Amino acid sequence: MNAIATSLRDRLGNEAEVVPPEQLDATWQSSLQAALAPGEPLPTLVLPQTEAGLAAAIALAHAQQWPMLLSGNGSKLSWGAPARGIQLLLSTQRLNQLLDHAVGDLTVTAAAGLKLADLQAILQPTGQFLPLDPAYPADATLGGIVATADAGSWRQRYGSPRDLLLGLSFVRADGAIAKAGGRVVKNVAGYDLMKLFTGSYGSLGAITQLTFRTYPLPAAATTALASGPPEAIAAARTALLQSALTPTRIDLLSVSLAQALTEQAQPGLLVRYQSSPASVAEQVQRLRQLTEPLGLSFHTYTAEAETEVWSRLQARVRGTQPAAGDGAIRCKIGLLPSAAIAFLNDLTTLASQPSVGQIHASSGVGYLSLPAETEAAVITKLRRTCEAQQGYLTLLEAPPALKQPLDPWGYTGNAIAVMRQLKHQFDPQNLLSPGRCVGGI
Amino acid sequence: MLLKDLLVGRRDRWQPIIREFERALGKASVIRRRDELLTYECDGLAAYRQRPALVVLPRTTEEVAAAVRLCDQHDLPWVARGAGTGLSGGALPVEDGVLIVTAKMKRILHVDCENQRLVVQPGVINNWVTQAVSDRGFYYAPDPSSQSVCSIGGNVAENSGGVHCLKYGVTTNHVLGLKVVTPDGTVVELGGAVPEQPGYDLPGLFVGSEGTLGIATEITLRILKTPEAICVLLADFPDIEAAGNAVMATIAAGIVPAGMEIMDNLSINAVEDIVATGCYPRDAGAILLVELDGIAIEVTENIAKVAAICRQNGSREITTATDAETRLKLWKGRKAAFAAAGHLSPDYFVQDGVVPRTQLARVLREIEALSERSGFRIANVFHAGDGNLHPLILYNGSVPGEFAQVEAVGGEILRLCVEAGGSISGEHGIGADKNCYMPQMFSATDLETMQYVRAAFNPKGLANPGKLFPTPRTCGEAANAQKSAQFKGVALF
Repeated sequence: MNAIATSLRDRLGNEAEVVPPEQLDATWQSSLQAALAPGEPLPTLVLPQTEAGLAAAIALAHAQQWPMLLSGNGSKLSWGAPARGIQLLLSTQRLNQLLDHAVGDLTVTAAAGLKLADLQAILQPTGQFLPLDPAYPADATLGGIVATADAGSWRQRYGSPRDLLLGLSFVRADGAIAKAGGRVVKNVAGYDLMKLFTGSYGSLGAITQLTFRTYPLPAAATTALASGPPEAIAAARTALLQSALTPTRIDLLSVSLAQALTEQAQPGLLVRYQSSPASVAEQVQRLRQLTEPLGLSFHTYTAEAETEVWSRLQARVRGTQPAAGDGAIRCKIGLLPSAAIAFLNDLTTLASQPSVGQIHASSGVGYLSLPAETEAAVITKLRRTCEAQQGYLTLLEAPPALKQPLDPWGYTGNAIAVMRQLKHQFDPQNLLSPGRCVGGI
Repeated sequence: MLLKDLLVGRRDRWQPIIREFERALGKASVIRRRDELLTYECDGLAAYRQRPALVVLPRTTEEVAAAVRLCDQHDLPWVARGAGTGLSGGALPVEDGVLIVTAKMKRILHVDCENQRLVVQPGVINNWVTQAVSDRGFYYAPDPSSQSVCSIGGNVAENSGGVHCLKYGVTTNHVLGLKVVTPDGTVVELGGAVPEQPGYDLPGLFVGSEGTLGIATEITLRILKTPEAICVLLADFPDIEAAGNAVMATIAAGIVPAGMEIMDNLSINAVEDIVATGCYPRDAGAILLVELDGIAIEVTENIAKVAAICRQNGSREITTATDAETRLKLWKGRKAAFAAAGHLSPDYFVQDGVVPRTQLARVLREIEALSERSGFRIANVFHAGDGNLHPLILYNGSVPGEFAQVEAVGGEILRLCVEAGGSISGEHGIGADKNCYMPQMFSATDLETMQYVRAAFNPKGLANPGKLFPTPRTCGEAANAQKSAQFKGVALF
């Protein structure tokens, strides 16, 4: 066993399990191999049992200057830039307690390692849910979802993690435990570190506890898919957003993605309504009236068929197997929503098949899945298209051979100096997930 | 040295600096006459006053940057000010400092309804945004009570809420991007037209930072589609607790109204005295206003459910309105509540605290006990849906010592909120008013960590010094509890 593992065991005792590199199981090995730069040695894994154990591990690493990667279940460890020189992998997997579900207040506080799926199972009997639909929903932990700012189509109605997070606690780079925000839905006391930590990829501190706002589970749900020529889909998008209808999800689907659902080689508009049965029925009917004159075909899904449509879509775009996966290249994109249909068309002509894309119709945030053999030049071209529409393209999952030359982040703004200053203040020795975040932070 | 010599010396020191500001911004944009400076010595928290040395009124990002750079070069502390309606003293000037006022930055720069966003300068008034897009069927959701006079720049600094934030969120949920002048005079873009840009969520960090991280000069806002149906329900209750129970039951029924407001008997009578709405029964213990919006069928269903819930909880009379005129009439008293309190008593002090919704009844009982103990009448008007209390403490400022007593009562209310698991501010901000209460909510480590953010943007501490965090000068012991970062190189004049 290496010296690092030994000193961690001595220091942490029962507070954490310490796994030296040679004893890592296959899951952790594959997560790490996807996260580390090629040829990097595997680090020692630490699984703290308590927040205090996590703090003690970080304090020791701080004193010893050991660079660390921070993780939940590791399902998104490969996102961001490949890490180098990592000595420790800290996982919050065992910090998985529900701390408080204030049912009447619609807030929930949990430890960062609690899986979203487990939280939903706890909330469900009370008629509530946390409206987040991130990648790898069976594995994703609350901490990991926040650290990667990951969300899905529910953005349309409920926003993304930044909009749902009310408070957090974290272990700082020096091992001290700090908090911000609170457990109430409205609170402006102090800086909003919740937003700062959302999407910080473990570069500022190790999240230990989170408080979210929850929502009542809607009584009924129906999903409608309109498909047809791109111009008609664009017109339908505009008409829908100009209407007073209140879907919880509106997604634009590339030809290949819609095809996976309908067998028709045309782009699609996938819309979900969740409300009272009468409201859902009326809204679906009104959507039909809105799309049919445009010559679009219209199909509705309810009950299990509805759940299945969304999980198939999710699997196709975002993947089912963390880290090792299917070898596909997965990107997060953003662009002005008015340019989304044209972009999805370009995707069909530019990238080799099967390339799929999904773009949330109001925000312009979306996801792509491209075949493993996609060339850097194609990705650059797609990135330029997003940038021309005031957006971005970030490579989440891609072979190191692609991430290396491309810069996985694709940040084009001028605030990198501010981000570096923040990183320097929170982690002056650059020990927390070094190099993983934007601009080599 | 005589005081007179000191003042003359101070003036001499300012002369060349003032000329530099005049060269950079033009003479008309620099205010230095004592009588003209008077306008700027306080914001909406009028109990605190401080005359600035200089007021500047830039028109563009470049002029703001030039002014901030001059402050940086000469180590002058500065404060940003929008319309000056803030209630926590966030725009209170600093002695011998510069006040940068955005009143001349009132242009809507870009409207893009296709993508549901627009770009404004910080001096644009909140409800101008909705006015600019309402003919196309859109609106801007955050609606603080002062929306006809408060500026978007100030809303960004304070992360303002409003009566509709229960369903639609507060300012931070509607800001996509910001052009910001940081305290060293650099212009940076935080976020942009499309949300979730790679890297740290800097717009999220900046919104609500109370002018301590820089000054926003262009703001990209998200706009929403106007709902097809809006219904306002007014119900009266024998007491506040019953009204609070109706709120709880509504939420438990899975209904998310746009807003839910409660007023107590004292407030009801105050507004009926002044605006005579004729809608609020003077003998009611409390009234509840619920606004529901969305698809017509949904609003109809939910309003019936809310009405039934109100009746179950002891409501005697329920009025609903869907037409704009009657809805406005039902809201009129609520909107006038603060103004009406001004007629109940020579002065009033508005507190802003938050409790978990489930603790409302208990905390309100304790506030009532506090009122009896202290002898000050307290009127309660609040955003019941999100537990945001606005107790109005009535007093007479001309009685020596009374304001200090009222501040103590206000502090006691905040303590109750924190004990109940809530917050010392839901929407008015910390500013100069509540910085000494921050240690009640946050540990020394928490506050030290927040200072990392300030140090990253504002290493010299020139932007809005003395606000948001406790300082030894203003808070004594409370501030000594934390190791406040020492700012380097700030001149003391």
